[in-house]
Amino acid sequence: MHRLPPRTFLIGAWLLLVAAVVLGLLSGPVSIAPGKLLELFSRQSDMDVRILQDLRLPRVLLAMLAGACLASCGAVMQGLFRNPLADPSLIGVSSGASLGASAVIFFGGVGFLSGVFELTAIAAGAFIGGLVATALVYRLASTITGTSVSTMLLAGIAITALSGAATSLFGFFADNEMLRRISLWQMGNLDSANWSRVGIIAVAVLPLMVLLPREGRALNAILLGESEARHLGIAVESLKGRLILLTALGVGVAVAVSGVVAFVGLIVPHLVRLMIGPDHRYLIPGSAILGAVLLLLADTGARSLMAPAELPTGVVTALLGAPFFVALLLQQRRKVLE
Amino acid sequence: MLLARNLSLNVAGFSLLRNINLDVEPGKVTAVIGANGAGKTSLLRLLTGEQKASDGEVVFNGRGIGDWQPQHLARMMAVLPQHSRLDFPFTAREVVTLGRIPHATGLVRDAQIVNDALQAVDGGYLDKRYYTQMSGGEKQRVQLARVLAQIWEPVDDGQRVLMLDEPTSAFDLAHQQLTLTIMRSLAEQGVGVLVVIHDLNLAARCADQLLVLSCGEIAASGEPGEVLTPELIRDVFHVEATIAVNPLTGTPMVLA
Repeated sequence: MHRLPPRTFLIGAWLLLVAAVVLGLLSGPVSIAPGKLLELFSRQSDMDVRILQDLRLPRVLLAMLAGACLASCGAVMQGLFRNPLADPSLIGVSSGASLGASAVIFFGGVGFLSGVFELTAIAAGAFIGGLVATALVYRLASTITGTSVSTMLLAGIAITALSGAATSLFGFFADNEMLRRISLWQMGNLDSANWSRVGIIAVAVLPLMVLLPREGRALNAILLGESEARHLGIAVESLKGRLILLTALGVGVAVAVSGVVAFVGLIVPHLVRLMIGPDHRYLIPGSAILGAVLLLLADTGARSLMAPAELPTGVVTALLGAPFFVALLLQQRRKVLE
Repeated sequence: MLLARNLSLNVAGFSLLRNINLDVEPGKVTAVIGANGAGKTSLLRLLTGEQKASDGEVVFNGRGIGDWQPQHLARMMAVLPQHSRLDFPFTAREVVTLGRIPHATGLVRDAQIVNDALQAVDGGYLDKRYYTQMSGGEKQRVQLARVLAQIWEPVDDGQRVLMLDEPTSAFDLAHQQLTLTIMRSLAEQGVGVLVVIHDLNLAARCADQLLVLSCGEIAASGEPGEVLTPELIRDVFHVEATIAVNPLTGTPMVLA
């Protein structure tokens, strides 16, 4: 395995992100001339500039923030569970959020809620559902002697199955229109981007981007084993509690504003680890940047591929990411065989 | 420096350890021997503060083991567990560098210590190799280098202690010898060394003080020459043995 120096990788990832932002702003149902970007922050009433300011920019920011959040939380979960296959949905947060959102769509669909308010209610439902599920999983796995990571894994599976069943029940009893909206939401979609949603997710994600990388060294020690980490002076129990809480908050908010975008949290940290190794001091920021790039590109694809119609972002994420990841795995395998 | 007074441990109604008294002294190697399930690893867990004793106390550098801040404790006490599972592709250098986490000595000094520690375990050539692709013995040597790096130099907080749980189980003859040399040279620097070991002859060769655990109690303790007798080996291990003198080192040798 050939590794890139972490700093080189981070610089490359930032450049990639800038390119993805420019691409994301310019492409869509209406192509915009690159020159218009210079007027992005002007007060013109030019149609293209208005599209940039009111539609494209919030959507690009939303995709970036959600992607960064999901991927860095994924990196943290994989470290905490010492399992490269872990992802944020393991602690129940995604399925809980799904259930919360479906419940709001189901009960709200009768006609109380409409328009913008309904979207906000769905997001709130998702956020609360995610937090409740995580709290349950965490409680189930905690005893006086500490939190057992393997019990948490099992509890996560159980809670995920339970909320999945409940979500299916809502789907079963829902009418066609509701059913379509529930399943659309589960595919993950950013089409409801607006500045207030950007505000909500920024409040959650920006602190996360500061707090998570600070736990990098401790997470490196955790990879050795919990008891080894303790012998290295890490307060393991409080670290676990902190990381679970931050992840639940981060993923809860991300899922609330963008629906269930699977895959980013699992694949991006994995990809970054293949490129620069498992050191969390670089893995977490690297995953955040690359997660932002992946979701941004996927969303740009979702907007442009079948314009003026839109594809669900989560579907494009998997369509784009999976073949790329498989290619990377094949390349790794070839190198090992040589 | 590390004292255990009347330690007892009960877990789920079973009494795992009873009335253990023990002094790990600076500059000496203390070896703990005993049959499987005698409580060696449990004793280690109590001594490192990982588990609280049901009764009795552990005092380290003049303070109860639980009263130390984890980070301060980690600067003085390094522990090598029996099995370490690490499934992520860190390089040997990265693993050993983890041993410097409790310290704030700076990157340059840490890199030197990591070099020295890897050299000490005959692992200089492993430097950039991936842990996940190493043999069992190489992995164990890298882990040993990690705990050595953790207590490489004296610190202001107090005297240093190194605890090893069967450090030689995956080693070939040369690396077993190397481990004994390392323990000895650490002791000469004033580090207290506590080692759990299965091979009685290795224990006899490396230890200044031998502690024999049997069914959760201390069956005997003292210098290897006094402790290792045919009677004790019959009582503790249920094996008939003859004790000879190692012609090279003058230490007792168990023939069974």
